Amino acid sequence: MSSASFLARHIGRRLLWLVAVVVIVTFITYWLLNLVPGDPCEVTLGAGATEELLAECRDDNNFGDNLFVRYASWLGDALTGYFGESYINRIDVSTSLAQKLPATLWLVFYTMLITLLVSVPLGMLAAYRRGSWFDSLVSGTSFGLLSMPAYVLGVILALQFSVRFDWFPLGGYVGPTESVIEHWKSLALPAITLAAGALPIYVRLLRDDMSQNLEENYAAFVIAKGMPIRRLLFRHVLRPSSFTLVTIAGINAAQLINSTIIVEFLFDVDGIGSFLIASVYAQDFLIVQSVCAIIATAFVLLNTLVDTIYPALDPRVRAR
Amino acid sequence: MTSTASQPQIRAPVRRKEGKQTVSPRAFRIGLVLALGWLAAVVVFALFAPFMGSLEDPKGYSRNVNQGPGWSSLFGTDELGRDMFSRVVWGSRLSLLIALASTAFGTIVGGLLGLFSGYFKSWTDDIIGGAINVMLSLPALMFALLIVTVMEQSLRNVIIAVSILSTPAVARVARAQTIRFADREFVTAAKGMGARRVRIMFKEILPNILPVMMSFAFLAFAIVIIAEGALSFIGKSVPAPEITWGGILAAGSSKLESSPHLTIFPALVIFLTLLSVNYIGNRLLHRSDVRHH
Repeated sequence: MSSASFLARHIGRRLLWLVAVVVIVTFITYWLLNLVPGDPCEVTLGAGATEELLAECRDDNNFGDNLFVRYASWLGDALTGYFGESYINRIDVSTSLAQKLPATLWLVFYTMLITLLVSVPLGMLAAYRRGSWFDSLVSGTSFGLLSMPAYVLGVILALQFSVRFDWFPLGGYVGPTESVIEHWKSLALPAITLAAGALPIYVRLLRDDMSQNLEENYAAFVIAKGMPIRRLLFRHVLRPSSFTLVTIAGINAAQLINSTIIVEFLFDVDGIGSFLIASVYAQDFLIVQSVCAIIATAFVLLNTLVDTIYPALDPRVRAR
Repeated sequence: MTSTASQPQIRAPVRRKEGKQTVSPRAFRIGLVLALGWLAAVVVFALFAPFMGSLEDPKGYSRNVNQGPGWSSLFGTDELGRDMFSRVVWGSRLSLLIALASTAFGTIVGGLLGLFSGYFKSWTDDIIGGAINVMLSLPALMFALLIVTVMEQSLRNVIIAVSILSTPAVARVARAQTIRFADREFVTAAKGMGARRVRIMFKEILPNILPVMMSFAFLAFAIVIIAEGALSFIGKSVPAPEITWGGILAAGSSKLESSPHLTIFPALVIFLTLLSVNYIGNRLLHRSDVRHH
């Protein structure tokens, strides 16, 4: 078999798997709506809803129909980019999400930035000096951070740096176009909180991966050749581990989003997490369902994309 | 398949220099005693909470509103004059109960799923293993939120909601362990003697994967406490008069500026409990995992 047709089959299988997973995951989130006790429209709209609004809601959602029929129509709408609209403020989900997305993306971006800037040097040094007090200190601190949920650490940081020292605002989000400094200040504590949650995993996996690289013959050769340690660490240890970073980011992505939801709520960052929680409070579960389905789909797509481009990035995986 | 599949295998075989250990066995033992002691104290207080006055009993209210920590009330009092120490103890009852129930559910269901998919391989594994990986790669808290939104807020539903975090986590470990043991000689021998598949799974493989599963149950316990805390932090765990740790923390965090003691103590208790559970889980994992020897 030629490699081109093999590749085509590989991509074909991937796509099929992708579609199947997206359909199943969105179907399950849709099916969960069936668990709403009583009439979903009445629950969403509350006791004070007008008859017209109730009728409109029932008309839009056809709760009397067969589940599969309803799902198919929801999926049809979703494919055209329409995910329903809130019956509470009449804004459709796509518009709301587009509005809230920048804050969440900035937050995740700064979190990744902090995580990388801290975890790479720490992991590298801990690997280079493995078994030393520094290594123990790093792994001990990581272990402690692992037992610190985002909402615990976030509250403590807010107490220290917003209440006691008043260095950062106690919540709210400022867009980068308004004021860059205020933008950074508004996201500093949330990003640090999230980064602290991701750090233990990054540092441990990087340290283990890098110390494995240090045991390789080429590392011994570089040392024997008398190359400076900096060159050994950055070129021969960090470089092969850079792909591991992609893997770790993939492993940690779901956890990061879990924490982002809570941290956005805690620091009042006007992003997708806050939007989701506001919808949960409003019992607007048509919105909650759509948002979950969208985020889940985005995740499945992202994971598949990373898995697919991974061999293209890393020659060692390609050779296997 | 998503990259999460390989998570437990990522641990690199680090060759330690002989006679040089990162942490001495003695320090480890002290840590273990401290962790077990803390957990025992938390459990004892939780069990005997009714002796400290009931959660809703007005007699438990003090005139000293918003008092800082002191001898009369160890953790201080909140804005209604309720003693924070007994609130944290009452909160621990439900936090621990939910974590225990969900961990038990996750260990049994996840263990069985992992055992089946690891042993039967082929299409069983494609489906179960695939489902585990998808679940692990999705932000599960979001689905827990969806579940508590669409279902009535109740203890049972919260347990169900957080179990979608514990189940796939245990299932993944059980699956990986089963695959490790399925090709071992004693399994082949049992097959050769004509043992049935159920017998092989439950009598030959299960006892071997149990130690790792049990130590992982501790880590799952911590995951569940964190998840339930997150749900109750946003007010979506057990309904109102009942409280859990996350709810106490959330209530305190809204008064961070005026009375920080309402936040610090619950935060500390959550942290120490998670630290202890994680520590014990990790110790057990190191003991039961042959790769470390």
